[in-house]
Amino acid sequence: MSPRPGFVLEVDRSTPATLIWHGEGFRLERLPVGSRVVYGPEPLAPLANSDQAIRHALDNPLGDSKPLRALLYPGMRLTIAFDDISLPLPPMRPPDVRQRVIEAVLDLAADSGVDDVVLIAALALHRRMTDPELRHALGDRVFEAFAPHGLLLQHDAEDPQNLIHLGFTDHGEDVEINRRAAESDLLIYVNINLSAMDGGHKSVATGLASYRSLKHHHNVRSMMNSHSFMDMHHSELHSSNWRMGRLIAESGVKLFQIETTLNTDTFPEQLGFLQKREWEWSLRDRASFLATSSALERMPGELSRRIFHAVRAPHDLTSVQAGAVEAVHESTLANLYRQQLVEVSGQTDVLTMGLPYIGPYNVNSTMNPILVACLGLGYFFNLYRGKPLVREGGVVIISHPTPWEFNPVHHPSYIDFFEQVLAETTDMFEIEAKYEESYATDPWYVHLYRTSYAYHGVHPLYMWYWCAHALQHLGRVIVVGGDRAAVHRLGFSSASTFADALELAEDVVGRDPTITHLHVPSLLMADVT
Amino acid sequence: MRALQFERNVPRFAAARVASVLAGSGKGVRVGPLELVEVDPLEIPGPGWVRVRPRLAGICGSDLATLDGRSSRYFEQIVSFPFIPGHEVVGDVEGGALDGRRAVIEPVLGCEARGIDPPCPGCAAGRKGSCERIAFGHLSPGLQTGYCRDTGGGWSTGFVAHQSQLHAVPDDFSDEAAVMVEPAACAVHAVCACKIAGGERVLVLGAGTIGLCVIAALRALCLPGVLVAVAKHPTQRRLARDLGADQVVRPGEHKRAARRLSGSLALESSDGGIERLTGGVDLVMDCVGSSDSLQQSFDVVRPGGRIVLVGMPGVVKADLAPLWQREIELRGAYAYGSEDRPEGPRSTFQLAFELVRGARLERLVSARYPLEHYEDAVAHAAAAGRRGAVKIVFDMRKRGSGLDASSTVRPRRPDSAGTTKEAK
Amino acid sequence: MTRHVGGAPAAGREGLRFVAENPTRPGGVVAPLARHKLGVDYDTAWARRYPVRLARAVVLDDFTRPVLRVALSPRVIGLEHLAPVQGPMVLAANHASHLDTALLLSMLPPRLRHRTIVAAAADYFFDRQWKAVVWSFGLGAIPMERSKVNRRSADLAARLINDGWSLIIFPEGGRTTDGWGREFKGGASYLAKRCCVPVIPVHIRGTRAVLAKSSSRFRLGSTEIRFGDALTPDQGEDARKFVARIELAVAALADEAESDWWSARRRAAAGTTPPFRGPEASAWRREWALPDSARKDQHVVRERGKHKPWTRDD
Repeated sequence: MSPRPGFVLEVDRSTPATLIWHGEGFRLERLPVGSRVVYGPEPLAPLANSDQAIRHALDNPLGDSKPLRALLYPGMRLTIAFDDISLPLPPMRPPDVRQRVIEAVLDLAADSGVDDVVLIAALALHRRMTDPELRHALGDRVFEAFAPHGLLLQHDAEDPQNLIHLGFTDHGEDVEINRRAAESDLLIYVNINLSAMDGGHKSVATGLASYRSLKHHHNVRSMMNSHSFMDMHHSELHSSNWRMGRLIAESGVKLFQIETTLNTDTFPEQLGFLQKREWEWSLRDRASFLATSSALERMPGELSRRIFHAVRAPHDLTSVQAGAVEAVHESTLANLYRQQLVEVSGQTDVLTMGLPYIGPYNVNSTMNPILVACLGLGYFFNLYRGKPLVREGGVVIISHPTPWEFNPVHHPSYIDFFEQVLAETTDMFEIEAKYEESYATDPWYVHLYRTSYAYHGVHPLYMWYWCAHALQHLGRVIVVGGDRAAVHRLGFSSASTFADALELAEDVVGRDPTITHLHVPSLLMADVT
Repeated sequence: MRALQFERNVPRFAAARVASVLAGSGKGVRVGPLELVEVDPLEIPGPGWVRVRPRLAGICGSDLATLDGRSSRYFEQIVSFPFIPGHEVVGDVEGGALDGRRAVIEPVLGCEARGIDPPCPGCAAGRKGSCERIAFGHLSPGLQTGYCRDTGGGWSTGFVAHQSQLHAVPDDFSDEAAVMVEPAACAVHAVCACKIAGGERVLVLGAGTIGLCVIAALRALCLPGVLVAVAKHPTQRRLARDLGADQVVRPGEHKRAARRLSGSLALESSDGGIERLTGGVDLVMDCVGSSDSLQQSFDVVRPGGRIVLVGMPGVVKADLAPLWQREIELRGAYAYGSEDRPEGPRSTFQLAFELVRGARLERLVSARYPLEHYEDAVAHAAAAGRRGAVKIVFDMRKRGSGLDASSTVRPRRPDSAGTTKEAK
Repeated sequence: MTRHVGGAPAAGREGLRFVAENPTRPGGVVAPLARHKLGVDYDTAWARRYPVRLARAVVLDDFTRPVLRVALSPRVIGLEHLAPVQGPMVLAANHASHLDTALLLSMLPPRLRHRTIVAAAADYFFDRQWKAVVWSFGLGAIPMERSKVNRRSADLAARLINDGWSLIIFPEGGRTTDGWGREFKGGASYLAKRCCVPVIPVHIRGTRAVLAKSSSRFRLGSTEIRFGDALTPDQGEDARKFVARIELAVAALADEAESDWWSARRRAAAGTTPPFRGPEASAWRREWALPDSARKDQHVVRERGKHKPWTRDD
């Protein structure tokens, strides 16, 4: 049976309760009759022979690029950059896509006698990856061949020696990227395009850039003008990245872009019910739901977090394309939409969503309140093309425990931002003007970013900016079942039950609102008409 | 005359200590040596002394420490029993130049009050707090009014004061404002004594009466670059901000706040948190005076920085390695006298009057109790922060007050307008 | 307390202390440095006395050999090459892991197993008293200088070979750091020529994946020991040429281990045996070109459920 496309379910009296994520747990909730639930398409069938497909893509590039084999020659400097720990979500079962692609690339490089090869994790301002994480992403073979010789690097946006300023775009934006990448005879970027935001010119222009360069598109104005940042044609974030990407190409950086898409097979079989439609749950699904959710309720938070972060997704490759950036990205988006796009007609008054335990910035870490806001209002709210799922002035209801918890190693500046800045103000423009520079240049954050495993000092502010479009658009944000103090600090309202949250929402949008629930997983993108 | 008298009674002293340790601060008063007694009016100790009838008298942190039996034994030789506590007083003067007027007393019993002439170098220089003769002269030992057998104290319906101790209260001052002048003067002195250069980063630990007064004084008299207050309770946090703190953080957040402000690096603890800073703020005003607060001060002060103990410390346990290695200055700030200001020497109390008026410190007076309800009053004062209060005072304005007479002050339901609602 | 002016200790407790404690040394007297004979100078003769040999044989046969059989599942190939050799021989093997010595020794046929000594680095295995005892007892090791030619160690080895002992030697002079072979040093060929005994080339495969140099993790794995044809120095062949021939023979065995006997033989005949020391290229390409068996920290990717175990296609 071929995978079924996504669809919009209208809840009636015989609709079973809907599964809603709630951090490191989930629950079943009966949505009001007449509500809509948006389900993504079922996971596409993976490529039959992924290694062959990768080799085929390398030999048959898109756009005006020569096959990779023809771009490699002895004595050249080759740099391979790859996406960091934030992709894919959850981390996939070995072998990771990056491993498969990079091994194929290295096989060609070895055949061509390329000696000077360096691998760079394109961190941008994210935390450095640990050795086991790198090993997971790249596989033992690549890790052993590069790491011991110091040839496996992680991009350092705070290392002036290893950055190069390539010039300004016609909008006056600084373009400053990793020196080794820029000065190589060939730069290969290996992407995992989990969402439509990833890839394209954003890979190099963001992943290998410095703060000086990033601040031109990671700011409140850009985010407010990105409708949404998942739709590159209406996203200021992407326009800026595209300008930068073109300037990078004009400065003579030769780039061979490799993009991959995965299917939405997100959870292993034991948790298979998470991605099934509720009315199709088998006896086994129902039993494992009951067992899992009651076990999670009883176990300490730390343990359930460990268990969830050990989940490895059975994601598999649905497409791989290589060659010139723009041609590649176009084809990637088509493949991504094939897996994720769902047509939804009309906006809604109230959008509800259950947030899972993981987002791009808390892999093997804690989902702190700022990341909750970012995942809900930054990512999930923006999973649309055309119009937002929720009308202007509408309400978003988020289900997440939103604990007042931070990982001090990974998110040191988040703690200060939450304790000291959000306590003061939640206004983005004020925060940007008053605090951004001091957070970006604080020597302690810089030290931790460069030598420990910390996100950059300015990262929590970016996460807050990520919510800009949503906060400007919405009338109210309500968090169900969250830590009241933390939710209050974010400037949202809290409700203890879904029913209470709907009552609160009615204050804003009026009686009998239309309700739409975003059923994630699987990851989807609403094409709202 | 009615008074709360504190006797030398070792078993009751010990009982108060035990009770305060077991049941919490303020609980010692029921079993301790403080008693409401009817006593004969005090004799006038000598020329220049007048009678004062207290209107309001505050309960100070040092009073609480005494009642709990946890004050330092250092004070044993410089107090005389039995004494009547109360050194934050506004009252009506009977006799002398200020006859019939309201006055605030400056409680230090220096050379002048003790009839010592020539005065000691401290008093001669106007620094009464540094008096070297507080156990001598024609008075019994006692560092302040409220700790001396011969003068009585504010927790009574009458006591005696030397004219040099009296500061007339302007007519537009309420009694509540006037009773705040003494604590404000302590803060003014502490702030003036540490000679803050403009632009310094200052952290104030503790937001009780003294902490809040220090914040107000810093704002009014210095130009701190950044002023951070560490406050535990919501009312304290709100007041700290109102009085001029740039940032108010909870206890436990002080290291992060100080680190952010100073852009310092930090040494990490094993769980990834911050153990202590390598740099830090320029000045810490410790308005708590405990081992913990001193430790916290050491954690966040920069090398070569200063720590000022404003809150009354007792025996504290401290690791002085940072003091040595980082050349930190640790100093105390006690009482008042005269201050060197850019405009010339000024009396601390005059500066304090201005501060109370400018910062509207009367709002710190949260509840008034008649003497008869001293147990409740002390319990309230001991739990002030938790109960959303700051300064608790005794109210003696209803003469001959008893339960029946105090129509405006209902038992157990203190008048605490504006503070019953805790800020969220 | 009484002091005995005459210095004669009293009986009782004080006497006991007098007996138990060393006398203190007068300040003006310089103590001679304690001298332990370690390194090349360590005398291993005790380890070849009959009772010690018997004890070693028991340990080797009843402990080392069964344990290694289980842990490393060794496959021994080419024992037939040992059969025709009468008398002692020099076994020259590649070296990737500490396990090599014990594995090779315990897998030798019984005739050789108890009459073989091992040349071990004097600076590594004989630098402490306890190590010297352990290795000379457990493996019959003799100290061998690896950084420079040492008359004493060469004489000792030669004397023992002449006495009928076979010798295991790792001509690379140490374990490989990157999985590829290193240049053979001349010790094996020198001893073979001096004592007129044949050299048996030996290739050990798979021990690096189990316990590599500078790796702290021990993984169970499977190994192979491959013996080659006995080599004797040709008339007039000097030691340097002979050692090159030994290295080539080990390389051919390595080739055989990764492919098969016939194709390895053909490549050897054509002179196209893959170089023992790996390709002359950058570090990552040398690593990339390593056969799986020589790679360290090899994970076997285990997947559960419906997914088949991942293998690289092709």
